[in-house]
Amino acid sequence: MNSSAQAGVGSGALSHVYIHHPSLRCNIPESNGLFYDDANRLLICTTSSQVFSWETSPFNPDVPPSVDSISEGPILSIRFSLDKKAIAVQRSDCEIQLFNRETKQILNHKCKAGSESILGFFWSDSPLCDLAIVKTSGMDLFACDSMLNSLRLVETKKANVNWYIYTHETRLVLLASGLQCKTFNGFQLSTAGVVRLPRFEMTMARSESNSKPILSAGDLHLVTVYGRIYCLQVDREAMLLHLYRFYRDAVVQQGSLPIYSSKLSVNVVDNLLLVHQIDAKVVIIYDLFVDSRAPVSAPLPLLWRGYQVSETSSQAVNKEIESSESSTSNENIVMYEDGWTFLVPDLILDQTNKVLWKIHLDLEAISASSSDRTSLLEFLQRRKLEANKAKQLCLGIARAIILERRPATQVTQAIDVLVTAYSYSVKAGTYKEIKNENATASTPTPGASPDSERHRQSGSNIDEEVEMNLSSGSQENMFCADEQQESQLSSPAISPDELYKFVFTSVEEMMVEESEYLVAIITEFLRSISAEKLKVDLNIYVMTIKLLAYSKRFAELSLFTTNKIIEPSKEVAFQLLDSGRQNIRVRKLGLDMLRQLSLHHDYISSLVQDGYYLEALRYAQKHKVTSVRSSMFLEAAFASNDMQHLAAILRVLSELIPGFKETSEYYTFYGLLNDTSSSVAV
Amino acid sequence: MASMSSGDESLRLCMFDLRRGQTEGQELEKILFFYPADLDFSTQLSVIGLSEGLITFTRLFSPEAACEVIEAERHSHVFYEAEPDIWMVMVVEKNKETGAIWRIDALRRVLKEVHSLFVMFHGSIRALIEKEPTGGLTRSLLYPFITDYLSTFQIWSLSEDCCCEFFVGKKLQLPTFRETLRERGTVQMLTLARDTAVEVQSLVQVLDSCAGSLRCHSMILFQDLLVSTTLSADDTVDLFTFAVMRLTSKALSSDTSSWSYLRKGPGSSEISSRSNLAPVGSIDSLHSRNGNNMHHVIRPLQNDKWTKGKDGFLITDIWGLETGGSPDSAIPTIWLQQTQERMYLLAYQHKSLTLLLLMPTNAIVNGDLSISAVKQQVIEDASLRILKIEENISRGWGGENAYHIKGYRYLVVDNDTKVSRSSPSGKVTTLAKESLLALNKLREEVDSEKSRAKGQEKDMEICIRAKNNVWVIARVTRGKELYMALEKGSDTLLDTTDAVGRFSNRYCSGAFLMD
Repeated sequence: MNSSAQAGVGSGALSHVYIHHPSLRCNIPESNGLFYDDANRLLICTTSSQVFSWETSPFNPDVPPSVDSISEGPILSIRFSLDKKAIAVQRSDCEIQLFNRETKQILNHKCKAGSESILGFFWSDSPLCDLAIVKTSGMDLFACDSMLNSLRLVETKKANVNWYIYTHETRLVLLASGLQCKTFNGFQLSTAGVVRLPRFEMTMARSESNSKPILSAGDLHLVTVYGRIYCLQVDREAMLLHLYRFYRDAVVQQGSLPIYSSKLSVNVVDNLLLVHQIDAKVVIIYDLFVDSRAPVSAPLPLLWRGYQVSETSSQAVNKEIESSESSTSNENIVMYEDGWTFLVPDLILDQTNKVLWKIHLDLEAISASSSDRTSLLEFLQRRKLEANKAKQLCLGIARAIILERRPATQVTQAIDVLVTAYSYSVKAGTYKEIKNENATASTPTPGASPDSERHRQSGSNIDEEVEMNLSSGSQENMFCADEQQESQLSSPAISPDELYKFVFTSVEEMMVEESEYLVAIITEFLRSISAEKLKVDLNIYVMTIKLLAYSKRFAELSLFTTNKIIEPSKEVAFQLLDSGRQNIRVRKLGLDMLRQLSLHHDYISSLVQDGYYLEALRYAQKHKVTSVRSSMFLEAAFASNDMQHLAAILRVLSELIPGFKETSEYYTFYGLLNDTSSSVAV
Repeated sequence: MASMSSGDESLRLCMFDLRRGQTEGQELEKILFFYPADLDFSTQLSVIGLSEGLITFTRLFSPEAACEVIEAERHSHVFYEAEPDIWMVMVVEKNKETGAIWRIDALRRVLKEVHSLFVMFHGSIRALIEKEPTGGLTRSLLYPFITDYLSTFQIWSLSEDCCCEFFVGKKLQLPTFRETLRERGTVQMLTLARDTAVEVQSLVQVLDSCAGSLRCHSMILFQDLLVSTTLSADDTVDLFTFAVMRLTSKALSSDTSSWSYLRKGPGSSEISSRSNLAPVGSIDSLHSRNGNNMHHVIRPLQNDKWTKGKDGFLITDIWGLETGGSPDSAIPTIWLQQTQERMYLLAYQHKSLTLLLLMPTNAIVNGDLSISAVKQQVIEDASLRILKIEENISRGWGGENAYHIKGYRYLVVDNDTKVSRSSPSGKVTTLAKESLLALNKLREEVDSEKSRAKGQEKDMEICIRAKNNVWVIARVTRGKELYMALEKGSDTLLDTTDAVGRFSNRYCSGAFLMD
């Protein structure tokens, strides 16, 4: 990715990542705590006796909070149960209270004071337990009865725990131990059961003073991208962000990213890793899909935008309302201020202003700043959050590279990317369709694409990230995200038909003079879809014929047709006949095609048109075609002034068409025949 | 066999210009070429004089198309007006015992072929004469060219017709009735599966753009079959003919095995000396008049001159050595009929796949293009694809007898595209001599019908049962021709037309409708 592209622009208004108005604002007076429940995606605001909660997914700032009353007391943390029937509140380091929202019953859970203390808790949807409480002595797993009357301890995982991290997205809990807190016990509490990870250590560079740095919970980030689970670890001494990927039975370090700020946080948007370099106030985007650990784009500030920009170019429109720093608005936003908490995947909680922001990617800006079109297309084809925008950008790029007359090899690569991505999404789509029948409600196909009918048949609309469940037996990705149900996505994949419709037809007019170049591109396109065994709108063949005929490349036109690169069809045949007005060979190709397609009527009519009326009649006789007007043959023969032929035709028609001798046509031409030459006998 | 020693009277081949030597004493001027070259001038002039007389006489009745053939008692005279007022005449001896039974049109096509090839390499004869009115340049090019061409007949016959092997080295074999199921002046195509065809076309696009913005032409052959071309039908035929003669993998490998015989015959070593014995005036004076370029006569059809280089490109020293002068001067050049453009010819070979690349010469003169850069580009952009395509085609290729259709001995010609397909020669030889003779006779009839139609498309359907119970069939329709021999004695006419109909539907997409 090219970073110099923006250097020239240089304006502070340029960004690849932005947050925009309106935010979700919790203007509850006397609130004393702001929490985020990642399992239920709830923003929770507490007062001394009330709990306000907002749904953050889908992100809607206007949604009113729901209100629950709880007894007064300190709140260290608060989480709704997964069925939202109960609220669990950690009151102290030895007490957790559970409130049943319906029955208003309260259940208290206390641990042995003194010997151990509670570090935190979370709800689980594993079959084994419903609630996990992490203590300094290990993790207790509890099952609740349906009425939440009691907690039953089902299992204890003994370990010395300094601190822990958990995200519901990954269902992964990492328990830190050791002097440097860099030794980890990990468990995944997924719907398939509880899996214990092998114990592992994280890398920590020694500081210059040779003191051993201690890892804190804030230095670790669990993220999910492309259905893979990663743990990111900040190593401040080395100024590196280490990546660990979790497999079923192994934790493997997979490279490191450089960091430019001692304060660091991460978000994940649309499977892209956003690394906030807080001191530098910039975001760097990484796409972990590719092996390269190079950033997708140059570091740019996070921007605040007044309103959503959609189809228009971001740089042009938003300059006046964008602000990288703050205070232009009533919201008084200070970027990367201390009160910000970054919530994985894509939320920022501003504790000071009590607002929640959702992070957005500006795909247009990213593509505008990239010069390598092939990798850009690959990048865009992996986007799902704004699939439609990604798709439109891809189409735009495809059009642009053709109009810019990029070398055919470059265009070929681009086409290959798009076709392969489509083919892949078709294949993946069918897989998921099967799965949806017995699993979750299938995702509705939003914003039906112009070609939705075809898409639905092939099932390509469904996002390509096929979830790999633990139960699905995939050896590699045992861990995976649970995002799928709510991903209201269509794929940015572009079908060959759409490529034809939105790329080739739109460039055709502008490139008539360069039909040779366009033919080269279309050939590559046909090769690409043929390699993927896909079909395309047959109008592309009509276009190919026009272009080849225009540049008088009849030899190739002939090869394209006889080798069936141009698939035979009635439309194609008619185009050949039409283009064949300049070249009899091409016209014959059209005639041959009509015959091969057994389009008897058209074949016979075209033959007569070309003056081969005897051949036409012979063919009609052989194939018993009576739909062609008999007068056509007669008129053709009469026009050629060959009375013998006329006589022969009259005789054949009398045999071919019952009752022909009674028609007025017969009399007319029989009369003409007798007038002209009495010597010819019928 | 239809062979003859070059020394006897069985073959005369001459080319002359009616616009030259019209005053007495200057008759020799009109002779451009005569075979055998060592025949005395009076005999040469008598052959040409007779031909000229016949042409002048027949033109009285048919100014557009004069004499085509004269059948004498012992000889056939075949006429071909190669260019306006430039005539080629072939006189062949009739001899039933040696099997010297010809179809006149097949012989005329030999004349046509050698002329087309000559024009492809040297440009039109008229243009040469106009450039150098003494005719010395033209003669010095024609003599080795046609002699080289005639010598190639021996090699061809060796590979195609094993019966003639005994005579190789001593004799020339002109196409006899045994070759009635083939059509000179057409190309034979390889049938491709769609996905391979798409790959090929994609390769063609790559090749065509190897010289940057300058569009090249290309032709691809697999063994002796055409895979793709971007040239017009006529140019395709000429270049294809040459490639099959000299460039394809088969041509390269068969040269070495059979050439040793031919050296004993009217081989290359003698030709140059003999061409110097050319009848007109003193060659030496011509040389001095025309300067240095006369010393090096390019002989494009010279055999055994092409080898495959390390980089896959075919190398030849026919056009000179690469070391001398400008590096591009040694690159072969040809003329395209359709565009009248002079093109550099590059040949690249990978196993059975031969790729010919044509680039306009003026682009190089202008400095827009360098051959070595193009070569580099081909290797970089195309060599992987070439590898893959060669593999694909080889895998799907049915071998020598791929286009054999059981029970049929056939020839299909498409005159529009100049493409033909026929039973493999090995299968044709299983036909009885009578069958071949009958078919040859039938073709002769069709030829004369066609020539009477004067370029208009004829529609014909002929089925004949010959003496040995063979059915010989000719079907001509809208520019396509089908010839067939069916040696199943008991078949009725109805069965026969059915059989032809089935063949047509199955293999010719129903092009030949049978009543």
